[in-house]
Amino acid sequence: MEDKKQVHEFLSPENFEFVQMGEKIYDKKFETKPIGYFKDAMIRFAKNKTNVFASIILGLVILGSILIPILSTKNAEVQESRLAYLPPRIPVLADWGIADGFKYLDNQVVDLSTIDPETGLGIPATMPIEYIKLDTLENYYTTCNDSTNQSCVGGDNILSVDVNRTHVYVESSSVDAISTYQLLSLSQATEGYIKLDIAQLNLTDENAVFNVYLKPTLFGAWTLVFSTTEAGVFDISPYEALGGVATVNSQIRMELVTTESSDSVYIHSVEVYNNTQEEPVYLATGYNMAHFYKLVTVDEFSGGTWNRYNGQVLAARFYYDAYAYAFGDYTIPALPRSTYDALMIEYADTCTVNWVDPADPNHYTFTEGCPIIEVLGKVGVVVVGDTEYFSYRIVANYGLMNGYDEIPYFLFGTSGTGKDLFKLIWIGTRTSLLLGVLVSAVNIAIGVVYGAISGYYGGNVDLIMQRFSEIVGRIPWLVTLSIFIALYGPGQVALFGVLIISGWIGVAGVTRTQFYRYKGREYVLASRTLGAGDGRLIFRHILPNGIGTIITTSILSIPGVIFTESTLSYLGFGIGHGTTLHIFGLELTGVSIGVLLSDGRNRLLYEPYLTVFPALLISILMITFNMFGNALRDAFNPALRGSE
Amino acid sequence: MFKYILVRTGFIFVVLIIILSMNFLFLKLAPEYPPANEDQKNSWLVQQYTRGYKDMWLETEDLTILAMREQEIVVPNNAYFRDEESQYRIYAPVPISRQYYIWAYNIITEWDWGVSTRLWVNMPAFTVLATRMPVTLKLNFLALFVYIPLGFGLGILAALKKNKWQDNAISLGVMIFISIPNFVIMTVLVMTFGFQLEWLPRQYPAQYIEGWIQIKALVLPVLGLSFGAIAGLTRLTRAEITEVLTSEFLLLARTKGLTRAQATVRHAMRNSMVPLVPTVIGSFVGLLGGSVVIERIYGIPGTGTVFIQSLTRNAYDYNVILVSTAFYTTIGLIAILLVDMSYGIVDPRIRMGARK
Repeated sequence: MEDKKQVHEFLSPENFEFVQMGEKIYDKKFETKPIGYFKDAMIRFAKNKTNVFASIILGLVILGSILIPILSTKNAEVQESRLAYLPPRIPVLADWGIADGFKYLDNQVVDLSTIDPETGLGIPATMPIEYIKLDTLENYYTTCNDSTNQSCVGGDNILSVDVNRTHVYVESSSVDAISTYQLLSLSQATEGYIKLDIAQLNLTDENAVFNVYLKPTLFGAWTLVFSTTEAGVFDISPYEALGGVATVNSQIRMELVTTESSDSVYIHSVEVYNNTQEEPVYLATGYNMAHFYKLVTVDEFSGGTWNRYNGQVLAARFYYDAYAYAFGDYTIPALPRSTYDALMIEYADTCTVNWVDPADPNHYTFTEGCPIIEVLGKVGVVVVGDTEYFSYRIVANYGLMNGYDEIPYFLFGTSGTGKDLFKLIWIGTRTSLLLGVLVSAVNIAIGVVYGAISGYYGGNVDLIMQRFSEIVGRIPWLVTLSIFIALYGPGQVALFGVLIISGWIGVAGVTRTQFYRYKGREYVLASRTLGAGDGRLIFRHILPNGIGTIITTSILSIPGVIFTESTLSYLGFGIGHGTTLHIFGLELTGVSIGVLLSDGRNRLLYEPYLTVFPALLISILMITFNMFGNALRDAFNPALRGSE
Repeated sequence: MFKYILVRTGFIFVVLIIILSMNFLFLKLAPEYPPANEDQKNSWLVQQYTRGYKDMWLETEDLTILAMREQEIVVPNNAYFRDEESQYRIYAPVPISRQYYIWAYNIITEWDWGVSTRLWVNMPAFTVLATRMPVTLKLNFLALFVYIPLGFGLGILAALKKNKWQDNAISLGVMIFISIPNFVIMTVLVMTFGFQLEWLPRQYPAQYIEGWIQIKALVLPVLGLSFGAIAGLTRLTRAEITEVLTSEFLLLARTKGLTRAQATVRHAMRNSMVPLVPTVIGSFVGLLGGSVVIERIYGIPGTGTVFIQSLTRNAYDYNVILVSTAFYTTIGLIAILLVDMSYGIVDPRIRMGARK
């Protein structure tokens, strides 16, 4: 206290003078510029650095969604099935081994002829070795039950009877000495015998039995040579049973007789041995035996199944260069002659023919740099009159054939239709944003008019309109959705319907509140006294004063619209691939972020990038949009800061 | 108070009837999708006739039958017919107003919502829905129990540590999770924990699989359902408590000698409950709506899945649609009613139905 007094004492009246001493007082112009409503809001907006940052990112996303679909030269329209599901490949990162376009393949059946004697590792026949990252190559055994797969070795074959049938046969193939399906041949002179290995015999029917038949001569009748009701390894000498023949050249027939469909026999192998060699002279097991054919309609009591069981297959897993593979060489089974001729004209300088075999005029290769690597021959030759119509069977380079000068970088990989995901995402964002803006615009138009009428007139009009909007607002989106889907089917009508039916109510409520707030003010009264009509009062006096709140509500509703739109599209009720939206002359593709996420849903294991990137972008969009909207609301209406 | 409750209940009831009737009428305007299988279709037609939705008559005049076979006489619009050699059996719908009356009468007297035409053919539609209800309700209540304590806890923490790092971290998380659509969160969760890390099932297991897997399978859908709700509740709690903490009665409490903890628990929390309790009740509807998408992603056989399946393109199952929308609408409206009433119970200052 003492200090302050001293200060006061120190300031003597002489130190003061009047500012306008000796001047006349006129109205003076403001030295600073006046700060209007919007400028004031702008200043407040710029104060919050986080929100400004979010708004800048939002701006970049919007800019990207406009520019990238126009500027990107990548393909996002045409299907290229060979380029489907390519992983991301990003220029600088690729050199460090991240996002380098390598893809993991698992469970690929190894072609046994490719096994490298040094490493003992084999690769599948479908994948040329130059694309495989060899240090990641692993081989392992896995079980298989595929009777058509030659690499599936070992295991048993199961024979069982159908329901309401009493027996089932399988037979080895008849006269065909060239293939593996040959006749069993054994003779008494060399002590030949058949060795039958039955791994399991599950019989519940008491009369059930497993029989083996042979033929005494090539065209003789089937004769029973052996039967059993228990599993085991059996040596069969069939000479006596066949009536004393000394040599047997026969197919073999195996029969399961039972009335229970749950009965089954697991046959491991059928071999024939003699005393001239250690090795079996005949061997049927696993894959070979699966090609014993099942007699389907011997009679009405016959029928059953013949299946592989517990076979083993050598499988490989590895990383391979998906880009080099996709853009590498591939066989075109039938290239139309016209396309071939056009290519020959276009690449006349680089394509020079090298004959592989001078005797074969239809088989030749081309020099390097030519899109066609090799012509394998003509197919589908049709001669009409003097002209010959045909196509070429060729090996071509995919990149050169489709006009890629070098292997492109698909930053986010490609979709299931071979389109560039990076471009698709931005196209999707553009669609989502435009939809959001358009739907919000419609909602604002309806909401402002409705709210203005309701708020301005008040009384019974207000009461009725309020009840109406309350009822409409209470309709769950599921009800609106089901009505629109049933009447119009999934698509843009349903989408707009669901978005608009419940969308305008928020804006109407805000507008109504604003009208209640301002309609009793003096300037409105003054204007009315001067003779202004309802329209003038609403649009010139009341609405401009409440516009800030209305704008912020509207902008805050855009992310909500995008939210609903992506959800509906994800569920398959909104827009989708192949559809186009026509709105006021604008043409939008049917791809939105929701559609892209829906595509990625079934590929979560091996192609997670199909989900990660769209999810990331929509998250960024929604977060920044909400922050921008909140910042705007805080700026226009500081009293609401921090609340909902 | 009693009168207010009565009026509100009445109003909600009227809204419910309006919504359901509107749904019925609009769906009746859409083309019908009877069962695809011929036998099932016949059985369905007979049921439709016995219930009174369709009129049935026999055409026995030889000449007329011949003309119908030759398609000279066209069978009336929307009608079904069966050529039975000597006679023509025709099923034609009765006017929609009559159908509406029968529909409403059957529901009120026998709780009969009609039969399913595509999903589980000729099963009562309500049975179809009722068998799926337990899963959905289990998930939603679990989510409710997860999200309420977490939302309150984080909100209170953020308010007490206002403008410190804890508050900033929580606010950032709130901003993120409130913005991202829940199907995106769910997809990313399934991808991460189901497919990439393989910690949790990738899909909701079938009912016969028992034990540990059934419990593990609840984790992802409950998380997917509650993330957004937690964020919303946290933000609201924070805002409310912040406001109460700066009020004068709290300052008075502190000056009386209460500790900060006492003041917060006894005065701040109670007062901030007023807008929070109704929000929590109302949020159940939000959870239920969100669970439609979550069920779809995780393959949960709940009411949402039934609804989506009954809306399969060009195989619409209207009775199932009607009963499932009725389910969602009723729960939604009851929640709104509870919200309205809870204001008066939580805060005695609010006198319900009071005139100005």
